[in-house]
Amino acid sequence: MKKQTLWTRITNPKYIMVYATIGIFLAIYAFGAFLYGDKGFLTVRTFVNLFIDNAYFGISAVGMTMVLITGGIDLSVGAVASLTGMFIAYGTTVLGLHPLTCIAAALVMGVGLGLLMGWVIHYLNVPAFITTLTGMFLARGVCSLISRESIDIKHPFIDALAGWKIYLMKYVDGNWVKIKPIAFINFNVILFLVMIIIGAFILQRTRFGRNIYAIGGNEQSAALMGLPVGRTKVLVYGFNGLCSVLAGISYALYVKSGWNLSLQGGELEVITCAVIGGTLLTGGVGYMAGTLFGVLLKSVIPALITFNGNLLSWWGKIATGLLLLLFICIQRFVVTTSDRKKGQ
Amino acid sequence: MSKKSFDISSLMQSKVTWAVIAELLILLVCFLIRPDFFSISYQPSTGMLYGSLIDIVNRSAEITIISMGMTLVIALGGTDLSVGALVAVAGAIALKFLRWDVLAYPTPGDYTVCSYILVLAVPLIVCALMGLFNGFLVAKGGIQPIIATLILMVCGRGVAQILTDGKQFTTGYSPFRFIGQGSFLYLPMPIIITIVVVIAVALFTRKTAFGAFVESVGVNPNASKLSGIKAAGVILIVFMITGLLSGIAGLIYSSRIMSNDSNNAGLNFEMDAILAVVIGGTNMSGGKFSLAGTVVGSLIIRTIVTFVYYFGIVAEATMAFKALIIAVVIVLQSEPVRKYFAKRAALRALRKGGMKA
Amino acid sequence: MQEKNILEMKGITIQFPGVKALDGVDFSLRAGEIHSLLGENGAGKSTLIKCLTGVNRMDAGKIILDGKEIAPTDPGNAIELGISAVFQEINLCPNLTVAENIFVGRQPMKHGQIDWKEINRRASELMSRFHLDIDVTRPLSYYSTAIQQMTSIARAVDIQAKILILDEPTSSLDENEVQLLFSVMRELKASGMGIIFITHFLDQIYAVSDRMTILRNGHLVGTYNIDELTKVELVTKMVGKDMDVIFSLKRSEVAPDAEFMLKAEHIGDASKIHDISVNVKKGELIGFAGLLGSGRTETAEMLFGATKTVKGDIYVDGEKILIKQPFDAIKADIAFCPEDRKRDGIIGDLSIRENIMLAVQSRKGFMKPMTKQEQTELANKYIKMLGIATPDCEKKAGELSGGNQQKVILARWMAASPKVFILDEPTRGIDIGAKAEIQRLMLEMCGQGVSVIFISSELDEIIRCSNRVVIMRDRAKVTEVDGASCTQKDILKIIAEGAA
Repeated sequence: MKKQTLWTRITNPKYIMVYATIGIFLAIYAFGAFLYGDKGFLTVRTFVNLFIDNAYFGISAVGMTMVLITGGIDLSVGAVASLTGMFIAYGTTVLGLHPLTCIAAALVMGVGLGLLMGWVIHYLNVPAFITTLTGMFLARGVCSLISRESIDIKHPFIDALAGWKIYLMKYVDGNWVKIKPIAFINFNVILFLVMIIIGAFILQRTRFGRNIYAIGGNEQSAALMGLPVGRTKVLVYGFNGLCSVLAGISYALYVKSGWNLSLQGGELEVITCAVIGGTLLTGGVGYMAGTLFGVLLKSVIPALITFNGNLLSWWGKIATGLLLLLFICIQRFVVTTSDRKKGQ
Repeated sequence: MSKKSFDISSLMQSKVTWAVIAELLILLVCFLIRPDFFSISYQPSTGMLYGSLIDIVNRSAEITIISMGMTLVIALGGTDLSVGALVAVAGAIALKFLRWDVLAYPTPGDYTVCSYILVLAVPLIVCALMGLFNGFLVAKGGIQPIIATLILMVCGRGVAQILTDGKQFTTGYSPFRFIGQGSFLYLPMPIIITIVVVIAVALFTRKTAFGAFVESVGVNPNASKLSGIKAAGVILIVFMITGLLSGIAGLIYSSRIMSNDSNNAGLNFEMDAILAVVIGGTNMSGGKFSLAGTVVGSLIIRTIVTFVYYFGIVAEATMAFKALIIAVVIVLQSEPVRKYFAKRAALRALRKGGMKA
Repeated sequence: MQEKNILEMKGITIQFPGVKALDGVDFSLRAGEIHSLLGENGAGKSTLIKCLTGVNRMDAGKIILDGKEIAPTDPGNAIELGISAVFQEINLCPNLTVAENIFVGRQPMKHGQIDWKEINRRASELMSRFHLDIDVTRPLSYYSTAIQQMTSIARAVDIQAKILILDEPTSSLDENEVQLLFSVMRELKASGMGIIFITHFLDQIYAVSDRMTILRNGHLVGTYNIDELTKVELVTKMVGKDMDVIFSLKRSEVAPDAEFMLKAEHIGDASKIHDISVNVKKGELIGFAGLLGSGRTETAEMLFGATKTVKGDIYVDGEKILIKQPFDAIKADIAFCPEDRKRDGIIGDLSIRENIMLAVQSRKGFMKPMTKQEQTELANKYIKMLGIATPDCEKKAGELSGGNQQKVILARWMAASPKVFILDEPTRGIDIGAKAEIQRLMLEMCGQGVSVIFISSELDEIIRCSNRVVIMRDRAKVTEVDGASCTQKDILKIIAEGAA
């Protein structure tokens, strides 16, 4: 029996992409610290803000990672999240319902749509791209049917939830004091981190999670190995629907309004997060840790541009594109070198 | 089994058939709601024909043109997500040229500051080169098309914004207006351009062996290479064509609004084009493609919009109804459903044939 | 106890569109026996297995397992019933680790979580039972095909089923690994498991099985004890006709003063092959003998430009040519029928017509298209000449049987009228009748002046057809022997010992 030392475990080729993501994130962060360290780029607050400003992307990326690992894709997430926001805004402000009622309705909508799309994809054999694109049109259309204007959310429950925060403290001279500049984490950040942990647990520690990988590796083989392919795929899209709704709630808490055109193109940003986190669109490969850093990596760029102050925000898009290019090149390099190794 | 029954079942199995049936049904419903739906009138003042049908074809021009290229990309087993962004890029460059020196010409008018040829050629060349970049990543880098084109999809609008400093220019240059709003042979120019593009792509793929090579590479790239097909070249050409066609669509789009709109020009065009191709019967996993089917697919998407409008529903809700109708078409086209209908048709024909015999 | 039937399949009938894949087939398996299932391609072996594992539904018949009637609905259900299978193509997930591939779907759990330690420990144990000392926590794709094959066997074995099905498990294993597999099979047999074994290698059938059942065209020919039939009788029953065709094949006659059509001098690629020289005369057939990985395929791929040649020179018909990609080789009138028909040869979704015209067309370039009528004529000519079984040339090539697909690929190249034809394992995985047919075609081409390079793992084929045999070992050419005077033993000795 070959010894599994800590070293062989760490150097297992399957983790290379996660390391690349973390490495590049640290490099860019160091670059930012070098340029704008004096403006406060290195503070805890800047780092925590990455989480606060992008939690909704992160929550959605958890579900998206799973979908991508099965070899599928889900283009409906942005629209479903937006629709969730509309549910909450319209329900509380116009209909006078309690936000929890609206959230419950949104959950039924999101998970139901996800399950339905999963069913169509697997049992009717319609490409995931087309199915979820239709789902996106549907959700976006319903948004517009509800309202064509942005609706503010004004409800004590929402205010309380959005305003709830834990200040980060430090221990100075026997007292706990807030760190300066003041940094805190809020409900969204906690939800994001909890979802990452749940996602990681599902993927690494449950049979359902491992079936997801097996399907992405080779769907036909998975079926011949006796794995429940259909059920797994349908549930993955259902779970992604759940993540989209949670992302929508998180976004609603962040902006405190619902708008039919919010989060347009969000699905592709979420996919970008997952991809620069090392998830392969061909399926079978991806880690929650990678996705976590993918979200951070993608969000550190706008942060840098804000710190610069002179650059047009459009450079952010170009930088994200270049980052994507860089990652794809690294992935290609990793794949070709590991192929070459195998050949020898 | 008689020859005829075989034909029926293969017809029922064909996705294009279902697309045509869907289009006809939608048109029929439009006609029932608005009896004047099919009427076409001539307006001497503009020298153009008017009518709902003309409008549908006219408005579908950009998507039809782009989806010609998209059909080839999908036949290769890929998708091109960057086409919408390229539409924005083409518009930005064209308007940048039309309003090269904003200070000298402070108000939009019927003038241009550089050769009109440049106004048209540069956007097209840039878009073709961007397409070539996509193709290069796919063919030489071995990167999945959806990811390779995601790069330009993400960057493209940023590039368009930076080219125009994030501003929206307007122009009044009439030769430019002609592209999107003029007419030729009683038809709006976009329709003429669309017809030319469709015929050109059809000739290029079907009158040469290029189409067969595309299909072959789409089904099995390895085997195609070993049969002597230069697969990389085929991929490069296809992505370049798609880029170029996106550029043409971009010019039409910006000529319609006589402005550039880097945020909204070509928004979701990639999605509509892919839908048009798939509804038109080309398989997303690559292989056999049908340009005629794609044209029908593109018309369906546009007809739905008109259809929804006739129902008196707010424009913003169009998407929901579009989604519902597309969902029906796609479910009808799905493999299990088609097989079910084909089986029934074959059975019925068999029974009929049996009774005669 | 030995005589007790663990499995009985009675009157199994499966109808596919247009054909009866199985027609009232009976099959029985005893506990503690290895039972070979034999037949040509398309005889119905795989269909019978798929029916037993729930991949295909049967239209009539019943399956009785341990006295109870069963009807497996899907592979998962079959595994629950105690039927475990290793399918012909490796059916594992390349992205999962070796250990996980063995246990996925039935991972040991601890505190409601997957117990990874246990999985890796047990997987290591299992693999060491196959004398494989590997790191089971690496992804499957990291390892060679042989190890992947062993992994899928380990999975099937570990399921502790009542019935184990092995469908062509040995195709990518070397001799040692085959012996290892056999010893494991014998162990399992001793523990009372019933094993169904499918293979194309006749020697292996006689080495390991107790009984055999022969199928032909979806019908049962019969079930025999292993000592009841000789090899020749067995083959005759499989083919349904005598093997005169094969034995009547005559070697090509090469004129003594024939010119060299292809000369490769000291060629080598970037990583594997360093220095190989081969030459073929006009109308000559050269056999490449050697084990898998000995450099046979790599050499062929270099000659055709499928892999890059980094050193040495290639001459065709006396002219030095530079081959950078397959297109260059085709321009120089070289043709190549690749080893992996499905991956590199056939273009499944295109019609037979399009598959056949491809090489001719790609040589012309896409700007000079053949009309559909020209294509149809070309295709029909070869359909007739090669006896491709199809209603017309518009049928999808992917829907043909293996042998017919191979003929389509041959037709593709014959249509390009090559001067040099390289065939890499053209007879693998196709039935004996089609094998003989393809050998006959190769020799016919030689007769017309084509130079042929023939790569095969089956030495008797090589010896039967070749004028000269090039023997390869460890990615280098060991020697050449005369095809007419050498014996299998000579060649085997050289392959094994490396000395000329």
